Amino acid sequence: MYGVQLDQLAAVLGVGEPRARTITSSWRRARYAQSARLGPGGPWTWLTRAGLAACGLPFPATIPALSRLAHLRAVTAVRLALEATSGYRAAGAFWRSERRLRARVGGRVGLRQHLPDGEVHWPDGTQAAWAGECWAVEAELTRKTVARTAAIMREVLTRTGDYGCPAAQVRVPGQPPRHARVLYLCSPAARPVVARARDAIGALGARVEIRDLPPGAGLPPAGLPPAGLPPAGLSRAGSRRAGPPGPQP
Amino acid sequence: MSRRRRGRRAVLAAGRLLGLAIAGAAGAALVVAAAPVSLVAAAAVTMAWAAGWPPRRLCQAALWCLPMVAVWVAATAAAAQSWWQVAAGPYRAWLAMWHLAAAGSVLRAVVTIAPVAVPLGLLVGALAWSRRILAMQTGTGGLTPRAPAAFDRRQWRHQVRSARARIAAPGAVPLLSRQGAIVAGAVIRTVGHAPAPLAAIPYQRLRSHQVVIGTTGTGKTTLLLRLWAGFRARGLQRHAAGAGHRPLLVVLDCKGGADSRRVADRARRVLREAGARSTAIWPDEASLSLWALPPRQLTTTLVDMIEHGSGSAAYYADVMEAVVALAVDPPAGPPASAADFLARLDPGWLSAAYSGSPDGQDAALLRSAAAHISDIALRFRTLFRRLGEGLDGPGGFGDADAWYCILEGTSEIAVAEAQARALVDILASYTAQGPGSQREILLAVDEFSAVSRRLPIWQLYERARSLGLALQVSAQSWPGLAPRDDDRYRIAATADGGIWLLRTPHPEPATGLAGSLPATDTSRRVLGVASWGHEGSSRVRDTPVANPAIIRSLDTGQAAYIYRGGVTFVQIKRLVAAPAALAREPTAPGQPVSRTAATRPTAAPAGREPPAAPPPDAGTLLDEAFGQEPG
Repeated sequence: MYGVQLDQLAAVLGVGEPRARTITSSWRRARYAQSARLGPGGPWTWLTRAGLAACGLPFPATIPALSRLAHLRAVTAVRLALEATSGYRAAGAFWRSERRLRARVGGRVGLRQHLPDGEVHWPDGTQAAWAGECWAVEAELTRKTVARTAAIMREVLTRTGDYGCPAAQVRVPGQPPRHARVLYLCSPAARPVVARARDAIGALGARVEIRDLPPGAGLPPAGLPPAGLPPAGLSRAGSRRAGPPGPQP
Repeated sequence: MSRRRRGRRAVLAAGRLLGLAIAGAAGAALVVAAAPVSLVAAAAVTMAWAAGWPPRRLCQAALWCLPMVAVWVAATAAAAQSWWQVAAGPYRAWLAMWHLAAAGSVLRAVVTIAPVAVPLGLLVGALAWSRRILAMQTGTGGLTPRAPAAFDRRQWRHQVRSARARIAAPGAVPLLSRQGAIVAGAVIRTVGHAPAPLAAIPYQRLRSHQVVIGTTGTGKTTLLLRLWAGFRARGLQRHAAGAGHRPLLVVLDCKGGADSRRVADRARRVLREAGARSTAIWPDEASLSLWALPPRQLTTTLVDMIEHGSGSAAYYADVMEAVVALAVDPPAGPPASAADFLARLDPGWLSAAYSGSPDGQDAALLRSAAAHISDIALRFRTLFRRLGEGLDGPGGFGDADAWYCILEGTSEIAVAEAQARALVDILASYTAQGPGSQREILLAVDEFSAVSRRLPIWQLYERARSLGLALQVSAQSWPGLAPRDDDRYRIAATADGGIWLLRTPHPEPATGLAGSLPATDTSRRVLGVASWGHEGSSRVRDTPVANPAIIRSLDTGQAAYIYRGGVTFVQIKRLVAAPAALAREPTAPGQPVSRTAATRPTAAPAGREPPAAPPPDAGTLLDEAFGQEPG
């Protein structure tokens, strides 16, 4: 998770928004986190380098990219919805974020291998029928082409190696696939394309689950007055780009 | 002949025999009297012979004994009452040694004489060993005329054995020396270079141009990986110390195929241990953006990537260049992708783009070229389909610490030629105009001559020189360096960083660049120690510094490094990288297998996707989290 908006943070912490705001302030004072109003809706909070180090996370500290705010919110909403289910808690499942996957790959920007928005690992030895599986999770806000979506589905479903593994192990014939299924959470705009892509990949499509994005996955409508100035380094243009309501690319 | 004369001859012969016998007896007496020195010298010569050491190494060993001698002299001076007793110390030690030996205290005798006998014996051994080598080099030693050649072959075997033992010793051959030089391996033999146990190449030589020639299976990849890892590790050290920019390695492997991918994987693992956080493998895993080139350069590159004819076809080439320039640099800005560029190769799009142009030149150009635009679009569509997505971005050379670019120069030459041209242009642009000017770049090209039709290798060489890139050209043979002999000589003669020769059937052109050394053939007789007879004659002749016969017979993992008129034969130390990944643990018979393993296929035909087994129904969980599946 690169950053989280206040209402989602409150849901994670199980408190109300005022209390979450107070907690965020204490993190800010300890220099563990920064927060700012980056787009419509409540302020965003993200960990600084000191905060990441305190959590033992080996990721570079970055401000959430303005162009990805909608996507980050959607993925967080998906994660929260999954984690809220009784099956998830009973199985002790583990969410492996895209940030963690990207860190394993080694920060190679420009790599053409597709990284899912997250992975859910279901431990062995539980009552769940899918115990021992690894799921790929994709949050689709915008509509891509059917060919591109089908190519991503095929790539994710036929991959055998972990992310960051040597090239020779990415896809080894005869090895079990890494992802038992891929879970697509779609906006209304993207859903038809994803469904057609699933049909296009034939038998592999049996391992594709399509659902709607959970409520609250989209950015709230614009128009709320900004609570403060963006932090240093964020331009006015950047703030404007983050503005449009609804799902953004 | 008179009887008196015969008698005088017999007396002279008897006298000569007597003299020889006396000299022999005196020599033997001296050897016995100086038994400790004689023993050390004999042992030193034997060791030097067995290990193929040069005499200089024995002299160095004698020098290392100096601290021991100093301590011994100091101890003697402290115990002595006058300087005379100190000067007589060696004699007294020698006398004491004999007394102790006679009394049966052999160990005490050895300890008593060692400070004097060991350095002296090593020096005597060095002298004797150098005389033996000189005698063999001048052809005056040995029992038979073939002895010198046999001696050289035997010494080569001994030297190889020593070098192999050295690289086999754990930790004996580090990647970087204490001085920061890149250690390629253990030295087998040097000619014209200072002898040393390890072959260490200063970093600056890797920042110059180098040439590597060796056929398949000779250890060329092992050598290249070591040099690349050394470049990376030393470059990082210098960068951390503020002495240089961050290093960037770019490899163009122009063979392609599965073998190149295996090498790429090995390179990634080796480089990771040398400090490269990310190694991008192009085009399999990473992409570069051709569209990041400046518009003018992009036009030139795009036009050069297309095959042109000559003669009357030059007209069409000009038309194509004009249309491409219009599509690349319209008022709206350059294209962002291949699809964007192809969409612009349309009369309607171009007309609309230049409709607002104040001078009518572009519109006039467009009208005259309109008939050809669809043909040009067809050619580029074909080109991009064959090129794949590797050049369509996103990404740039700054995104990774090392790039391993695989060009299918064996199976798809035309595509690989276009890719090579584009990659070099992207790198040149990155170096000249981008942040690449703040990087120390090593461009390593393997078998570039296979794809050099669109970009002659000498042109690559000149561009690399002008941009400050270090270029490392490797090939399987001398002809593989470049298509023309002039270019081959130009490349090899300007290799400031040296030439690496592995086993190759025709090394003469490269060894010729190492020059020659004067060697002496003599028919004069050796009369004794440092004494030569006056009968006979000597002749100085030139012998090649790098013997082509040795290079032709080099074993796997051996290389000759030619630099500044000398050659060092090296046993290359293979870099051992961490294993790719842990193997999956086998399931013991009778042990319960997990549900996932049971429901998934265990084997699939090679090259095909594993059959999809329907996973267990997770509908309840998903319905709870996200609601029912939309209809």
